[in-house]
Amino acid sequence: MITVALPKGALLKDAVRRFAAAGLDFSAITDPDNRLLMVPSACGSARALLVRNGDVPVYVAYGQAQLGVVGYDVLREQQRPVAQLLDLGFGGCRMAVAVRESSPYRRAADLPPHCRVASKFTRCAAEYFDALDLPVDLIHLTGSVELGPLTGVSEAIVDLVATGRTLRDNGLIAIEDLFHSTARLVGHPLALRLDDGRLQELVQAMAGVTA
Amino acid sequence: MALQPAAGARDLLPRDVEANRWIADRLAEVYQRWGYAEVMPPSIERLDTLEAGGAIDGGEVLRVVADEPLGLRPELTASIARAAGSRLAAQPRPLRLHYRGSRFLAERREGEPPRIREDLQSGVELMGAPSLAGDAELLRLLLDAAGHLPLGAAQAPTLLIGHQGLLQPLLAPLAAPLQRSVREALARFDRLGLALLGLDGSLLRRLDDLLQLRGEPLAVLDHLSRDLDSPVTADLRRLVTSVQGQAAALEIRLQLDPTFQPPFALYDGLVLELACRGLHAPVVIASGGRYDGLVRRFSPGEAGATGVGFCFAIEEVRQLLSEAGGWPGDGDQPAAASLVAFGRPGTLEAALDRLQQLHRQGVRAELWPTPCPDAEAAGAIARERGLDRCEWLGPVMGGPA
Repeated sequence: MITVALPKGALLKDAVRRFAAAGLDFSAITDPDNRLLMVPSACGSARALLVRNGDVPVYVAYGQAQLGVVGYDVLREQQRPVAQLLDLGFGGCRMAVAVRESSPYRRAADLPPHCRVASKFTRCAAEYFDALDLPVDLIHLTGSVELGPLTGVSEAIVDLVATGRTLRDNGLIAIEDLFHSTARLVGHPLALRLDDGRLQELVQAMAGVTA
Repeated sequence: MALQPAAGARDLLPRDVEANRWIADRLAEVYQRWGYAEVMPPSIERLDTLEAGGAIDGGEVLRVVADEPLGLRPELTASIARAAGSRLAAQPRPLRLHYRGSRFLAERREGEPPRIREDLQSGVELMGAPSLAGDAELLRLLLDAAGHLPLGAAQAPTLLIGHQGLLQPLLAPLAAPLQRSVREALARFDRLGLALLGLDGSLLRRLDDLLQLRGEPLAVLDHLSRDLDSPVTADLRRLVTSVQGQAAALEIRLQLDPTFQPPFALYDGLVLELACRGLHAPVVIASGGRYDGLVRRFSPGEAGATGVGFCFAIEEVRQLLSEAGGWPGDGDQPAAASLVAFGRPGTLEAALDRLQQLHRQGVRAELWPTPCPDAEAAGAIARERGLDRCEWLGPVMGGPA
């Protein structure tokens, strides 16, 4: 049986829609009354695991799910051994460096060396500032990262920006992008190699839908 | 005082150890029949040996605090290749060696201290055998060894076969770092990563097609021969043909997979992985391949320096067998065993004498170390400890009260 890890939250509805278009109906998982975390497909040939966004690569990397849907931002941050199969196109956002609107800095490279930068994505941030050859003091936060510059915890933040409204409402401004992120279909490399054809057929069907 | 082992390290309890020994003994019997002699390389080596000329990421090696750069072995092939090039250099080739022992990996996650992973491995190394004969012996031996494990249709064992030379005609025009990136993306099955490497459109399409190509070896080789003029296809065809019958008899499926690669970049020719269906996820129970470059690194002057080998992951095999209900002999009643108890402190020596008398008769027997008031109490202790017999030595006549 094919097991698919689906992310709770913003990507869920589009992920379910994309699988439905490829022939696997997991719509029961989006039912407001649903409390099940493991839901069979309507045809009974597959099942979906409902997990947190950040846990999708874990389930796929350990092989408990052969396929999963997760944002590229999470993949970049976690660096788990999973195969990126398709760019599903939805869930678009960008990873950006942001500062207070009143900040004198308008480029990441202008930030003062050893300044504090808050982020949920410290690996992405570390790679970015390493590439700039700018030493910074990274502070790991688990949410409400925008408060960093407002409270003086940090000079800047590295965070996901979708519409930019949260930044604007909190008096912040994005000054540079690290990368653009969309939802990805990922797979367990060994499961894909041992596949009897069903996974490849599903991936191809989803690729057709994407196109 | 900390009561838990270091992060990631595990205590193996008697039942686990018994299972590991059963598996490793069974594999070793097969290796010995093929003429392989057991060696025991050190757990600690110099870092440059362990990193095998860059084939192994130094970040995966657990370093040891010492006056020189040392670490715990993340696999055993590099240590054995080093020994083959030094203390065993004068031994006639081919050199057939087998081993069992732990390997240690440092699993690092951002912002977390490294976790220690210790796994028991059992494997063989064949050095100095000509290429085709060496590959053929390795494949036959791997199948023979796997055939001595109680794997069945439920585990769906599949031997993945690949060869680093298959892609060479396609990748040869690329610069070395790009070749490495392409091979890594293919090994990870990373289609999107491959697309980001800036390859020429037609090459990208051919590599993407190759990423989808796998299956029955001769059919895949036929497909490859049509548009990929690789010198290794003829050797692979001969190799696969020579083991097809053996694999079919053992119900091990053979699958040629041009793009797979075992985790360490040690290999420069044939590559192998034996994968099984686990309860929840597929599991690799053995992997290996040809590592001539590594042997040449440790034996630079040796003509015909070659090496092939594989290792079984004993813990993975144990897990697989326990999911399938255990290994033969698991849960059998142990042979009869006795408890020897004594009534007064003065009879301790007599109890020890009796214990050894039983041992000489081949009976498993253990001592109850404190005086027991009577035979009934001693019998209750024996039952509690799972021992089916009890001997209670009462007060010695004329001895101390």
